[in-house]
Amino acid sequence: MSEALEHSARLLRAYQAQEKRFVERRFPLQFAPEVPALRELYSQSKGLHWDPETDIAWDRFDPARYDRTAREAASRTWSRRAWSVYPGLTESTALLIRFCLESGSLGMDAKLFLSFRPAEEAKHLEVCHMLAERFGDYTADPGEPGLARVSNHPFAQAALDGDLPVEAYVAALGALDDQLDLNLHLSHLQHAKDEVVRAALRLIACDRGRHVAFAWAFLGSRVPGLDARGRAAVVAAVSDLLAHVLLAGYRNTWLLPEKSREPWLAAEAETARHGLGASTPSQERGVLRATIAQVRERFAAWKLDLPRVEHAELGTL
Amino acid sequence: MLIEKERTGAYVLEQRYPLPLASAMPDVWELWRRAKTLEWDPQIDIPWEELHPERYSAEQLLAAQMYWSRRTWGEYGAISESPALLLRFCLERRLPDLQFFFTMRTMEEGRHAEASWLMAERLGRYFPQPQNPPTAGAVGTHGVRRMAFDPETSLEGIFASLVCAAEEILIDVFKATVHKATNSAVRRLMELILRDEVRHIAFGWQCLDAWAPSFTPETVRNIEAAVTTMIENVEFRGYRNLWLAIEGGSATPAEIDADRISCEAGLGGNTPEDEMRVFPEFLKKIRKRMAPWSVAIPMFEHPRLGQV
Repeated sequence: MSEALEHSARLLRAYQAQEKRFVERRFPLQFAPEVPALRELYSQSKGLHWDPETDIAWDRFDPARYDRTAREAASRTWSRRAWSVYPGLTESTALLIRFCLESGSLGMDAKLFLSFRPAEEAKHLEVCHMLAERFGDYTADPGEPGLARVSNHPFAQAALDGDLPVEAYVAALGALDDQLDLNLHLSHLQHAKDEVVRAALRLIACDRGRHVAFAWAFLGSRVPGLDARGRAAVVAAVSDLLAHVLLAGYRNTWLLPEKSREPWLAAEAETARHGLGASTPSQERGVLRATIAQVRERFAAWKLDLPRVEHAELGTL
Repeated sequence: MLIEKERTGAYVLEQRYPLPLASAMPDVWELWRRAKTLEWDPQIDIPWEELHPERYSAEQLLAAQMYWSRRTWGEYGAISESPALLLRFCLERRLPDLQFFFTMRTMEEGRHAEASWLMAERLGRYFPQPQNPPTAGAVGTHGVRRMAFDPETSLEGIFASLVCAAEEILIDVFKATVHKATNSAVRRLMELILRDEVRHIAFGWQCLDAWAPSFTPETVRNIEAAVTTMIENVEFRGYRNLWLAIEGGSATPAEIDADRISCEAGLGGNTPEDEMRVFPEFLKKIRKRMAPWSVAIPMFEHPRLGQV
């Protein structure tokens, strides 16, 4: 057996072991809305579907307007963005399976919503790939172990981990990470000048906004019922993700270890300068601080206190 | 807590790069493209105002409620179980076409589940479970999630059994009976489901055709075993139609008869005569379709269908 096959077999066995820890009780299988806000988000997903190929005016896209340096930079930026979108395919799928494993009688709103999310992630992935290709060439590999490591976390496996309460998972990946991702997309959109890039960012941000709303609505329906252990797990997961993943450069290139930043950071600066779908480090710094403040404030409403985090460059957050 | 297991190596890290995203299977990519243009919404794309449940007898309505409830449970399997296949495609780093298409499939199955539930509800009542709990074993699962996460179960076997066999018979019966749905809301729903499912089946056959040149004798045996299991342990246990359950199971007579009564009322479903006609034809078809791969599907004995 090749090394790659052996590795994928190990991965599957890990998922298999997690799945076996659940005893699925499929019946009674309830479909009636339980949390109207979540069902409404599902309805919106159905009504607001779009197609990257036909809903973006590619015929008006003219990469030749930009010099070669700008095109190469944008191509790199959109390639890196594709890598950061890709995990959504497995993470949201694993989360859907987790909801199904936990109960047939609870959570149908979340399940229906999550049945749509992988397709939405795939559309975002297609957009990133199309833009990278049209600007020059999609790069399939970071080519630098540091960046590859920082952008590859086993969050899909965590979604199926019965030791991690589903509320903690959604708080970390949905309320914090998706929120930061949405806010960054809105910042890129605000600074983008190319109309096709703007259309692409707007469509992605619209879906992302729903994903974030899902996380907050879901938490709103569950957090008040959590016991002390569940509440502590929520705080711990969010703090963990912030300190060890986001501040390590999962979403922001300027936070990567110094030797992993280039050529990606320079590419983002050039992409931002030409309005092709990026923000400057200083703009992203503002987004990151605002997001943390926003998340902290919303958690405080549930009396969940997110501890401060120290960062060498950013100080206390 | 979130990172602890990653740090201690309790989770296995994916080898994600290089991450190719360009299409490598044009036919499958075309299915992904088609799926994006054919999205629909059960709430608004079915002429619910033409359902008129008041025009049907209590017996007909009950049968149709049972039929559409059971369809809901079946479609739910495609939300709860089949998405594990998408995980497998990603973990095994299969071609991007498979990954992209399957995201749409999950979404479409969610829509079918919602639509079937809505139909039962709007006909008067959705039943959240079988009348006798043991029937849940027969109609509750086709076991695909377990197979998808099992590295010892070949992907080709899963495709042949779930995507080609189980979905094909479902659609063959649908195709053969859609004209009997005289109720226009029911018929529209059946047509919309059919339109999606045809793509799902095409996906399965296209993948298997593409992989066939590399089938080993072991792959062929896996496919034969998986299809046989799907017929004997899923179809003949009544997963899709309780009338087919060999043992009779614990389903009530009303549940077993629901498909026929609903079908005769024009509200969806099929009769034993339909099954007796379509099932042998379906087996003949997949036998012929799989023969070029040297796959031999055995004959099956069924108390009501005879030798098929």
